Amino acid sequence: MRISSIYKIKNGLGKFVAYTILIFVALACIFPLFWMFGSALKTQSTVFSDFSLFPKHMHWENFTIAWTKAHFGMYFFNSVLYTVITVGGLVFFSTMAAFAFSRLDFPFKNALFLMFVCMMMIPLPGQFVALYVLLTKLHLVNTRIGYILPQIDAGQALAIFILKTFFDNIPRDLEDSARIDGCNKWGIYWHLAFPLAKPAIAVVIIFNCLAVWNEYLLAMLVFSDKSLMPLPRGLMVFQGTHMTEYALLMAGVSITVIPIILVYLVMQKYIISGITAGALKG
Amino acid sequence: MENRIFRFLSIVVCAVIFFSPTSGCVSKSSQKDSKPALVIWHWMSDREDTLQQIAQQYETETGVKVEFQLFAPSEAYGNKVRASAQTDTLPDIYGILAETRDYASFIKAGFVEDLTPYMEANNALWKKQFFKKALSMDTFVKDNQFDVLPGIYGVPIDVTNIQFLYNKDLFAKAGLDTNKPPRTFEQFKAVAKKLKENNIQGLVSGWGEIWMINCLADNFAWNIMGQDKILATIKGEVPYTDPDWIKVFSLFDEMGKSGLLASGMITMVNKHAEQTFANQRAALAFNGSWCVNVYKGMNPDLNYGVFLPPKISDKYPVVVWGGAGSSFKVNAKSKHKEAAIKFLKWITEKKQQIFLSKETHNLPSNRNALSNLSPHLKQFASAMKNTVHPSQLPNSEYPRVIETMGKGIQLIIIGQQTPEELAQKMQKIKEQEMKRSEKYNKK
Repeated sequence: MRISSIYKIKNGLGKFVAYTILIFVALACIFPLFWMFGSALKTQSTVFSDFSLFPKHMHWENFTIAWTKAHFGMYFFNSVLYTVITVGGLVFFSTMAAFAFSRLDFPFKNALFLMFVCMMMIPLPGQFVALYVLLTKLHLVNTRIGYILPQIDAGQALAIFILKTFFDNIPRDLEDSARIDGCNKWGIYWHLAFPLAKPAIAVVIIFNCLAVWNEYLLAMLVFSDKSLMPLPRGLMVFQGTHMTEYALLMAGVSITVIPIILVYLVMQKYIISGITAGALKG
Repeated sequence: MENRIFRFLSIVVCAVIFFSPTSGCVSKSSQKDSKPALVIWHWMSDREDTLQQIAQQYETETGVKVEFQLFAPSEAYGNKVRASAQTDTLPDIYGILAETRDYASFIKAGFVEDLTPYMEANNALWKKQFFKKALSMDTFVKDNQFDVLPGIYGVPIDVTNIQFLYNKDLFAKAGLDTNKPPRTFEQFKAVAKKLKENNIQGLVSGWGEIWMINCLADNFAWNIMGQDKILATIKGEVPYTDPDWIKVFSLFDEMGKSGLLASGMITMVNKHAEQTFANQRAALAFNGSWCVNVYKGMNPDLNYGVFLPPKISDKYPVVVWGGAGSSFKVNAKSKHKEAAIKFLKWITEKKQQIFLSKETHNLPSNRNALSNLSPHLKQFASAMKNTVHPSQLPNSEYPRVIETMGKGIQLIIIGQQTPEELAQKMQKIKEQEMKRSEKYNKK
């Protein structure tokens, strides 16, 4: 009886400490979002004088001003297009490549995989000049495809790494039974490996959606035509060389984060299983 | 489920295939159909609307279409310009946001047109309309260390200088005369004392960004030892351990000890300093003429004045760091070179300069366009005759030495280094750099 009470107290205390820490961590994570939203409702001068999280006089018009002044409609369409095509293309190619690295035997397999892993160490901005030279020679500068292809390429290394680790853990017996059922290599990939890799694919989608949605430096390099640029270009309207329109900038950022939050909400059930099952095993 | 995945992937693949030729063709054909006569790349996002209006005005007046293309922030713009130079795809007009060394390499590679003949034509009519110092940052003098042919290689569309600002309301609160900002360093320290007694923060500035510290150090150096001695130091003929240089560094020591500097000053970025001054949480600021627009946005009721850096010595005049603000270069390989130069001539005419200044609250580069300036901008404009800039000297200091100075002054302010120690350190680095340079030249 006494042991049980001590256990209950210990358990309760442990939970209390854990929840308290988690609440603080959650608040620390959520606070910037609230601050951003609160600042979006202030004016340029009250951003610097009114330190309350939500102002007394809320300027909801900031959202419409931000949308129209920065031509968000056009940039929003572009960003959705680039994100869908890039992430779709990335999933398509990286799942096939990862499956090949995991299940097929071909010469220099390990060396090639190592090269892909090494690619992860080179950030995209480090390749800018070489990339620009290549795109110019291919006449892809200032074209949508010239922006999409390098991003698919840039995301491949991490995606292949995550997915290969996941495919490695699929039991061989499953593959054998699929083969008995008449599946060839493509059939095994398409009917077995791809559906089973959903959690890992979800992680790849989330990581890359975020990267592509927020991408800006490459867009600046590839595009000259404003009408082809993605959403972050719209935000630049509010950031001057010396002067930043903080309230409108925060309103703009609030608008831009909505789709990404939605992607997270839709995909969240896969995130934990995907990361633990695919990314961290090996 | 399988069908859905298959359908999704099919759509994605089709979209990729569909968009690849389409997007390429669309942009190419549209470029053919409506290719502007002049393409200008810039990084000034806060002036985008005004520049678009200028372009429209030019088209109405001359029939020549001009397209301003914005690439911001400046780091992204720099990447774009460098990458384009390597592929020979620079636009007709562009700016170079880089050190003089890089600017020189663009010129030597043939990407920048020498504008001297155009500037000097008709009895130097174009050249004469600028503030004298406005062209200094785009001028390469004879025997410059970069081996660039002497000439004028850029056109400033505005100018800037950096001065001190004081909050008149806080001065009044501290019992200081609101119409008499400090003129000498002693007065400056007396103001600091008064502000401290009244619990008012003193000076704020972006001294976390080293260049702003160097800027004030340069002002002091020019006032204490004059241009010739500074140039002699750069050439290695005068050491940094010279008493005049130690005096320059000691001034920062005195400022730190007098309590003049706001807390966190040496890590402060200029945006934070601007917020602090605009919110009346500091009585003094050291900032550039662009601040007029910034303060107007942050606190339109801010009651402040502008004054020159305090005088240290009577031997040489008090100077402020300044010159060209933003300047454009003409691509020497452009097919529209003449049209580009014509446009730059037009944009620097009095009428356009007044318009630009009115809309962007920047100082015009044309000295005849000062009629409609706000009182604060007028104060900045009046100091243009006192401006200096390291780039106007035929030789420039090694970047490592400049960096050591800025970081060393930061250490002096927080009491971790003495002025003498900094002087010795700078001299040591200077000697190392000179030796390295000699070796390189021999090779």
